[in-house]
Amino acid sequence: MSVVQNPVSTMMATAQSPSSTEIPAPLIPLLSSLTSFIYTIEKFFNRVPGSPIIVRYIKSSYQNDPWRSLLELFLLAFAIRTVLKGRTRGEGEGKSFIKLTEKEIDELVDDFNPLPLADDPTPADSFTLDTVPTIHGPNGIKVKTSPNGKTLLNLATPNWCGFIENDKMKDVAIQTLKHYGVGTCGPSGFYGTIDIHTKVEADISSFIGTEAAIIYSQAFALVSSAIPAFAKRGDIIVADRGVNFGIHKGLQISRSNIKWYAHGDMKDLERVLQNVERERKRKGGKLTKKFIVAEGIFENDGMILDLPKVMELKKKYKYRLILDECQSFGMMGAHGRGITEHYGIPASEVDMILGSMANGLATGGGFCAGSQVVCQHQRINSSASVFSASLPAMLATCASAAIEILKSQPNLMTSLQNNILIFRQQLAKLEPENPFDGSINKDALISIPSFINSGLIHIFLLNPPTTEDGANHLLEEEESILQEIVDEVMTSSNLLITRSRRLRSQEIFEPEPSLKINISGYMSKKDVENAGKGLKAAIIKVCGSE
Amino acid sequence: MPRSTRKSTSGASTPPSSLSSSPPTKPLYPTISLRSSSPSSSSNNNNNGNTMSTARSSLINVLNRPHHSTPSTSISNTIVTASKLSSIATNSTDFNSSDEDTLYSDQSTAASSYASSIISGTASSLDKSNLTSADIAKIYENYLEKPFVNTKSTIKHSEFGHCNNPNWRWTSQWNTDEPIHPTEEPHPPYFTLLTTYISYILLIVIGHMRDFFGKRFRPAEYAHLMPQNGYAALNSDFDSFYTRRLKQRLEDCFARPVTGVAGRSIVCYDRLSTDENKTFNLTGTTTRALNVSSYNYLGFASSTGGCADAVEACIKKYGVSGAGPRHDASTLDLHTQTENLVARFVGQESAMVVSMGYATNSTTIPALVGKGCLVISDEFNHASIRFGVRLSGASLRSFKHNDMDDLERILRDVISQGQPRTHRPWKKILLIVEGLYSMEGSLLNLPHVLELKRRYKFYIYLDEAHSIGAMGPNGRGVCDYFGVDPREVDILMGTFTKSFGAAGGYIAGSKQVMDRLRIRSHATCYAESISPPLLTQIIASMGSIMGVAPPLATPPALIDDDKSLSGDSVSVRSLRPTVYGPAPSHILPTWMKLPLNLLNGTEGRERLRRLAFNSRYLSSGLRKLGFIVYGHRDSPIIPLLIYNPGKMPWFSQLMLDRLGPDKTPIVVVVVAYPATPLITSRVRFCLSASHTKNDIDLILRACDEVGELLGMKYGKQTMTVEEVISSAEELVSASHAE
Repeated sequence: MSVVQNPVSTMMATAQSPSSTEIPAPLIPLLSSLTSFIYTIEKFFNRVPGSPIIVRYIKSSYQNDPWRSLLELFLLAFAIRTVLKGRTRGEGEGKSFIKLTEKEIDELVDDFNPLPLADDPTPADSFTLDTVPTIHGPNGIKVKTSPNGKTLLNLATPNWCGFIENDKMKDVAIQTLKHYGVGTCGPSGFYGTIDIHTKVEADISSFIGTEAAIIYSQAFALVSSAIPAFAKRGDIIVADRGVNFGIHKGLQISRSNIKWYAHGDMKDLERVLQNVERERKRKGGKLTKKFIVAEGIFENDGMILDLPKVMELKKKYKYRLILDECQSFGMMGAHGRGITEHYGIPASEVDMILGSMANGLATGGGFCAGSQVVCQHQRINSSASVFSASLPAMLATCASAAIEILKSQPNLMTSLQNNILIFRQQLAKLEPENPFDGSINKDALISIPSFINSGLIHIFLLNPPTTEDGANHLLEEEESILQEIVDEVMTSSNLLITRSRRLRSQEIFEPEPSLKINISGYMSKKDVENAGKGLKAAIIKVCGSE
Repeated sequence: MPRSTRKSTSGASTPPSSLSSSPPTKPLYPTISLRSSSPSSSSNNNNNGNTMSTARSSLINVLNRPHHSTPSTSISNTIVTASKLSSIATNSTDFNSSDEDTLYSDQSTAASSYASSIISGTASSLDKSNLTSADIAKIYENYLEKPFVNTKSTIKHSEFGHCNNPNWRWTSQWNTDEPIHPTEEPHPPYFTLLTTYISYILLIVIGHMRDFFGKRFRPAEYAHLMPQNGYAALNSDFDSFYTRRLKQRLEDCFARPVTGVAGRSIVCYDRLSTDENKTFNLTGTTTRALNVSSYNYLGFASSTGGCADAVEACIKKYGVSGAGPRHDASTLDLHTQTENLVARFVGQESAMVVSMGYATNSTTIPALVGKGCLVISDEFNHASIRFGVRLSGASLRSFKHNDMDDLERILRDVISQGQPRTHRPWKKILLIVEGLYSMEGSLLNLPHVLELKRRYKFYIYLDEAHSIGAMGPNGRGVCDYFGVDPREVDILMGTFTKSFGAAGGYIAGSKQVMDRLRIRSHATCYAESISPPLLTQIIASMGSIMGVAPPLATPPALIDDDKSLSGDSVSVRSLRPTVYGPAPSHILPTWMKLPLNLLNGTEGRERLRRLAFNSRYLSSGLRKLGFIVYGHRDSPIIPLLIYNPGKMPWFSQLMLDRLGPDKTPIVVVVVAYPATPLITSRVRFCLSASHTKNDIDLILRACDEVGELLGMKYGKQTMTVEEVISSAEELVSASHAE
């Protein structure tokens, strides 16, 4: 027997036969004290309630197989480690974690040299900021961009029915102020649901023709929050490549599986839907939520969605349609109900209609109209609805008033359509193909993809400056040409228009630069005609010489 | 109490002392010069220039808090000028809130009955010592609409309570004797914890059982949770379990429909449910209740008064629409004016306004940080911050709520390790914290954070959604409260919903940062701009907190902001007592006419000091009654812990259907998981300057009643409710909660 043998058996031996010869004499007192120590622990352990159970468990688990016990011990250690581990990820345990001494950390902290919070503005940035006009006095169809400047016709602000300067809405707002004050002082869950919120929701849903509606206090936040309230990780979203920035943000937050189809291309949409279907069949698995996301009138170019075709595909492939009508609500259809009215499709067949009260009704906020289930779900699960103060009372009552006006005065929409027609006719001669008579123009300067009845008109340059190989647009140069046109119409024709503003480098697909025109039905025909002529002249002047 | 004393004492802290005779080098606001390096500190306590700041702040509070027995003897030239000011105010015809024509309480602090809360007037004819319940009910019959005192004010008592006793005022300011965070968290008894856990387990088990049988026996009711016709369920039964089985039981406590102004009181529609809270039917009647639920810290939610008149003028001039995005020709002169005023108000170079408070965070953070940047966020940060960080694509680390040691540990960790895997240094590190946490009532330890910032070179994004207007002697948020220079914080964010009675939010910072945000923020480019009436409400309410110069004198230190001084501006800057001054009248819209009490800042100051008193009083009082209360005593948000989920609807209902003799209904907000950790469900009081002391007394009585009944006094009760009410001023001025 060597000294390195199992100490327990040695101790047993020591205890039973202390006179055993094979243990060296100096070790004997040590071993005996060890034995008595172990005996004390054992006695103590037996006194602990429940100890027989543990002993029995260990014995039954041991079963003459030390590996088994070792495995259990290992599992126990692993469980303890998991429990003790930090909650957040990257808590300093990852593979790439490097253990450093305090001194080294101090040195690294001293060396840490972060970038400034905001870098110096580039020339392009300054150009962007400097060209933002400030309106002095009230907004509307006639505005001033300096306190004593000349009056300009405003083609930059969405004001399709002239609600901005509507006196009846001002009266309603003052009445509301006298009863409700200004702010609501709380989210809708905590005493922020005023009776008029319920009323405007009912007004919107009955106007559009859906079961219910829910209002938000900002249209942009609505779009980026309502989508992720439904679409979650693992769900499928098929979206038009041309959708607006708010939708992009909503898609990004949703973490869903996003498939893009070519802008406005229904064949491509069907192809994407078929691909998804094929993939699902191949992989099998659980049925997931599937959404098609598109806009009624696209904010980025004014094109219209082919809603009948989308409805057909959506039903065929069992998708839900999220339709962003922030531009088309209050602009399209005989009463401004949006593109559902334009195409004569019942709005209740669209699963979710997102609309803006700031654009179409000239108040503020947005709404989502749909079934009772859809709206109720958002009241609890949509972050911008739950965690934000509710819409100020006067904006809600004015929205109700505007809907009342839209319902009772269909001539608002006809005069808007007339004005759009007059304006488009002026510009038609500069387009490559005249949208009215189909004639071909070889000296075309601009292209207007916007729908012919759309109050939102985007004008793109036909021959934008490109890099030498012609592959890429020189966006900055193009924008400065457009700005030249904006400045030119302001000085020569007293028009206020704007080029579309973009968040370059933050967009998923960089939209091309364009001029953005909003026609109002409240403008006189003469003004609109002159505006069209003025813009035409300015475009010819700036781009024609090349 | 002699009237002259009241005037002078209440004026002791009134800001616009520089209106008349004070020398120009004197600081404008004696109460705010906390920075000990500032030479101006001497003026505050006359000859004790080198006193430590603690001593000074306690002295300030003594000055601000006159007592009946000790008419303030510390008459300085500040007081003299202030009384001049208040005589000017009296001459004004439309001076409306600090009513000079009313009676003051002559209450004796020893009286221990309901009458002790009642200000003389109606109650004086009654025998105070033995009121019967019927008498009390009669006195309180129109309690919310009619004040006990006579007043000429045009502001409705139901929206903004009239409370004239100058003793019931306090200045919200950091007292270094008082810890920013409680040294030890209050713990409930283990029995409560156990029953809470058991309650939740029970709820979950019963919920699953109901689901199990419901799906089999009543499939129609579960149709929207099941896949049908090839469509997956919009909302799976698992995801909605909490909502359907737990929240629905409390449904009546949430989203009660209301009407009118959410001021001191609010009118609720009565409703009933016959189908286990799935739907509610309005009964057709309404109840006016005392409102301790809305975020109306300074009581600017009002349908009458100077601000409302300004808003009316604005609607006539501008209409209601903010129209399109800011960059698309929808930037009005009013927007620029508001932004200039907000920048002045918070003490930053430049500011930007956004039409929604939530969107202020969610659209700004992505413009500041991106890939390769790190955001360090408090675990209790608001959902909008989390939304913004997710959009930004920056990495995220969160630290334990307000735990500065944990923050420092994470900072050392992330700076030394760099980015994951690549170990490159982070491009920027942005710390996102809130000034005042809306569910906890806890304050940020700003001095400590700034210390860490100097060492670790991160940037600070401070969300002051709840603290702006509500904290600090000048109402400028936590920077003001702690007396630190707001420009040490890189980005200040806040909302207009809570203190200013409007809606929307702002971002403020250096000009360079703000310019970048104007270009890159989603909101300026794509979101609608904030509408003109809201802007007017912001300008009017903010202007009235700041005071407008003229009539106030422009403080000399602010001149250098106008770049009119070049050579000697350095010396001027060094004299700057504070960055907070009155609003120069030239940055306000010329058409806006405000009454004198708003222009000279008396009204705003009064509101700040009433809010500070109310907050401290209720928070201290509830602690004395034995409730577990979270948060700092200066916080206007006061969370009272309930724990057991079953007590939540009861608490809410019993506050509404009062048992006490006064029968005044009170609406409260109960908050549970997921807004709070599972077991610490709570009721949250949001106090306002519009509450009178009598209102707070009522809340204390009501809580005492209900707390006794529901067994919610988890701590040790050291005072009875009558003792608390009679010693309100002592409780407020005590520097320790114990």
